[in-house]
Amino acid sequence: MVNYKQDLPPKGGFEAIKFKRNLPTKGPGGAVIFGAVTAICAFGFWRVGLGNLEKRELQREKAWSRIHLVPLLLAESDRDIYRREQAALAREKEIMKDVPGWEVGQKAYHSKRYQPASIVVI
Amino acid sequence: MSTHREAKFPAKDYVDPTPLPSSVPHVDELGVTSAPLKTASFFIGEHCKKYNEDFMLCKAEDRDPAHCLAEGRKVTRCAQDLITKVRATCLEEFNAHWECLERNNQEFYLCRKPERKFNSCVFEKLNLSKNIPGSPADKPQIHEKTWPIYGAIQK
Repeated sequence: MVNYKQDLPPKGGFEAIKFKRNLPTKGPGGAVIFGAVTAICAFGFWRVGLGNLEKRELQREKAWSRIHLVPLLLAESDRDIYRREQAALAREKEIMKDVPGWEVGQKAYHSKRYQPASIVVI
Repeated sequence: MSTHREAKFPAKDYVDPTPLPSSVPHVDELGVTSAPLKTASFFIGEHCKKYNEDFMLCKAEDRDPAHCLAEGRKVTRCAQDLITKVRATCLEEFNAHWECLERNNQEFYLCRKPERKFNSCVFEKLNLSKNIPGSPADKPQIHEKTWPIYGAIQK
């Protein structure tokens, strides 16, 4: 008779094998993060929309500030152009005074429409 | 602006010292640089509306610079009058605003603080207000908006 002891599981069986990860759950869940990102994006796009409307108004403001200045700038440059034209006509008259039949300031076109001078004598 | 060319050439300046013919009445040119003009622009538009519209209608008739000299003189005199009035009453606010524009790339939206002071001064003293045509009627105009999205990063 050989004395032996049969190797048996402990009473109540073996402990369950710890194969599951045992990490604490940290931070918000996926749905929360996804929701937060969506909310932030939505807020941002809403601001972008408002900003686009505002930008349009800023452009309108800039355009009208220029429109209001057009008449006075135009008036000033008109006087300057008129002065230069008159001076050019006077010079032409002086230079061409000996040429019979010369018409001072005659247009190159058969039109009454104003044509700005394309050549200036410096 | 009848021509879109500057009176300038690369090699030589286009200078003509001949004065205006004496048949044309004299008017002092404004002699105001861009920033003060921008500051005053909406008030010029409001104060001189009749003269400006008259002049532009005249220009629409004929683009010849000689055609609208009289109307042009009125426009310049009116603008001169407004600038003088503004400088006489709201000089400090006027200077503060156009100097701000000068420092900020001439953008209105970067200079709302001095602009509010200037606008309210002009409204009190000269009874002129800034109105941007075509703004949405149900909202405050862009220069009256309390929390604008675009603004100076440093207030």
